[in-house]
Amino acid sequence: MDVAVGDEIPAWVVAAVSVEKMKIFSALIRDPNPIHIDAAAVQRLGLGDREINQGPISMGYLYNMLGDWLGGVHHVTRLSVRFGANVYAGDEVVATGTVTAVEDLGGRRVATCDVRLEVVGGATAMTGSAVVTLP
Amino acid sequence: MIDEEQVKALVGTVFPGGTITIEAWEHRLMCDTLLVEPPADGTAHPFYAYQATRAGMGLDLDEMFALCLADPDDGGMFGEHEAELDRPLRVGETYAVRGSITDVERKQGRTAGTFDMITFRLELLDDRGRRVATARNKWIFPRRES
Repeated sequence: MDVAVGDEIPAWVVAAVSVEKMKIFSALIRDPNPIHIDAAAVQRLGLGDREINQGPISMGYLYNMLGDWLGGVHHVTRLSVRFGANVYAGDEVVATGTVTAVEDLGGRRVATCDVRLEVVGGATAMTGSAVVTLP
Repeated sequence: MIDEEQVKALVGTVFPGGTITIEAWEHRLMCDTLLVEPPADGTAHPFYAYQATRAGMGLDLDEMFALCLADPDDGGMFGEHEAELDRPLRVGETYAVRGSITDVERKQGRTAGTFDMITFRLELLDDRGRRVATARNKWIFPRRES
């Protein structure tokens, strides 16, 4: 795979974040926090008027962007993220990335990338970096 | 407000730990929430560097908040995460989980007020005791005036 510093990673888009996925996720991890499953609870806490996506789900979108680019998520060897603005049910979000370094490490070609998740028409939900093994 | 020294004393606290099996059915549902098909080669989505360490650390979310001297109603949240994978995780495999609290920082936010940022370091080990993945999670716990 031919990759150079400055390359843009193809964007990975979620047209509308689904509250049903949040509910499944909450059940799977037994997360009792109502902000992911009950819009009224979000309102009571003054955090908005729609359910708030779990941070780990949003983080998953970044892995998916890298996996689609590289032909598999198993190419990701490191992901470091800082959470920013909330992502709400119904939001359109876009995961993007830029290659910042390419090097040879013990016979493997490895790229470092800046990654981010943006809410369309809103704020930055997540920023960070990733290290991937190039196929 | 909880005394800063009391929170700093948490550094070095070792989690109970345990084991976690990446069950195929659960992995499929988890991938569904992430809007992807499970990888076809039997590897687990790398998101499990977070999920498996969280699920296998030996504390549920309420117990984790209590350990950090925090009330879930005060709005604790996930602040930062770093995952390193030494090799891909595999569906169907059982991993041991071990970890501890490695850092505590008390901070002052313009709007958030006083909060503590508590860092967990967690590892996944395979059945031969080899480290497969490491997660570093920073949780933010607001500290209210009592």
